Amino acid sequence: MPTASSLDKAAIPPQHDSLIRAIAPWLIALAAGATLPYAVGEYGVGIGLNFLMWVALTLSWCVLSRLSGYVSLGHAVFYGLGSYLTAVLWGQIPLPLIVLGAGVLGAVFAAVVGTPVLRVRGPYFVILSFGLSELVKYVVLALESALGVSSRIIFGGPELATLYYAMLGMAGAAVLLYEGVRRARLGQGLRALRENEEAAETIGVPVARYKLYAYVLSASIPAMVGALMALRTPYFSAEQSFDPMISVTVIAMAVLGGGERVLSAVAGVTLLTVLSEVLWATAPLFYMIILGSVLIAFVLIAPDGVVGVAGRLRRSLRRRLDGGTLR
Amino acid sequence: MSLLSLRGVGKKFGGLQALADVSFEVNAGEIVGIMGANGAGKTTLFACIAGHERPSAGDIVFEGASLLGLRPDQVCSRGIGRTFQIVKPFGGMSVLENVALAARFGAARLGQGAAEASALELLADLGMAAQAHDHAGTLTLAGKKRLELARAVATGAKLVMLDEVMAGLNPTEVAQMLDAVRKLHRTRGLTVLVIEHVMRALMELSDRIVVLHHGRLIAQGSPLEVGADRGVQTAYFGEGGEMSAEEETEADA
Repeated sequence: MPTASSLDKAAIPPQHDSLIRAIAPWLIALAAGATLPYAVGEYGVGIGLNFLMWVALTLSWCVLSRLSGYVSLGHAVFYGLGSYLTAVLWGQIPLPLIVLGAGVLGAVFAAVVGTPVLRVRGPYFVILSFGLSELVKYVVLALESALGVSSRIIFGGPELATLYYAMLGMAGAAVLLYEGVRRARLGQGLRALRENEEAAETIGVPVARYKLYAYVLSASIPAMVGALMALRTPYFSAEQSFDPMISVTVIAMAVLGGGERVLSAVAGVTLLTVLSEVLWATAPLFYMIILGSVLIAFVLIAPDGVVGVAGRLRRSLRRRLDGGTLR
Repeated sequence: MSLLSLRGVGKKFGGLQALADVSFEVNAGEIVGIMGANGAGKTTLFACIAGHERPSAGDIVFEGASLLGLRPDQVCSRGIGRTFQIVKPFGGMSVLENVALAARFGAARLGQGAAEASALELLADLGMAAQAHDHAGTLTLAGKKRLELARAVATGAKLVMLDEVMAGLNPTEVAQMLDAVRKLHRTRGLTVLVIEHVMRALMELSDRIVVLHHGRLIAQGSPLEVGADRGVQTAYFGEGGEMSAEEETEADA
């Protein structure tokens, strides 16, 4: 190593490292995941489904928020829209069409609201994205009550394993999307504008267009995920489908993971999934308290997340093994 | 041949006339200095050319096509790079990444590999090869100013606009910056438009100087001509003022 810098080199996608090579391990992992329904029972598949859902949601969130620094607290809006589409169309058209339709709906919604919403930055964008999600939720609630629909029952949903495989596809699509965007000119431009929007524009990054692209690209997957997850419960509820906890959890997972790589997001999702399983089983009363404490601890002590901590541990261990020859 | 042509450019901010009827030409390969006191409209002029501000009057023509109504990124893609008086590095990235990003966009639009190669070459030209992998945020002011320059050039710009790249630097650093600008100008055939308060540096560097005063162009010509211009002396030193050797030194500081 000629230079010892504090930079995380892995944050810079190495040029010779092709997209295929980068995502290959993940595709293999997903293929291995396909055997899960044969190995574990219903409960295990349920956890697997949740895990894949969070992977898909978190990575799709990262396309906009991790790369551009526009932290969205409204990722649930797309999930909710997708869920609502399923509730309305279930039984009338085949599920694959509903899911595709949800993807289109999410993207179109993002394209329509994106330009005005992405004009505000920093904390204002955080609040606006949250407000937008809540607004759509109440519009749906009002719409439902105006239509005289008190609850939408969803009969005859697919088997858990079917949902699981569909979600496997979503997680795979999210890995592909995030890693593809990150390496493309688009991703580079987003990273530039994250650092300084005016400077980015001055070196030729079409900032307004790039932000909109990222927003639209990040919207389809959560909508499709929502469309699928609506089938997990026998009825549709706007309160549940547009639950702000979805948005918050996604951010928590990304923060716990830290860093820009797919690995970071997956590590964050894994940590939080395991943590919540353990906490629900052992200390349900303290669930939110412990979760909150863990989050605060990470933000304060390890803003680079589990992957950053692991990297530092590895480096210091190697230093010790090398007897201090490495700087 | 005229590369950039300003035709009666005016800019009003509310009731304030920041620029009024400014017209001049910049020929390909020239280094043109822009001189003027604080508030004379120099930075506004850059902002109008670069697309950060839209002129309220007149036209700005680059390589025969108007720049009016273009966004900053579009202006950059036409081949105009600029630096900022208050440096704006991508602080969380390495120096190399900063410059490579500029080469991926702008007029250059290189692929990732080519962008990095071109950035490394440019950094070597600027004597910054050793810092290529440092955090841009950790550079000294002189380093950050040079990074601004590198980024503007890396976009593949034909015309580079430097906004006080020597302000706040010590004499050694000013000399290094002068060398760097001259070297890039010579080796890359750049056209340079430069705003500078360090008067001696501006005089030394520029082929031609344009003087702004209260938003109006009051003189242009070679550094010697401008220095001897009666109107310029009046604007700078008041009636009866004349630039003696001592005063010139003071004006530097």
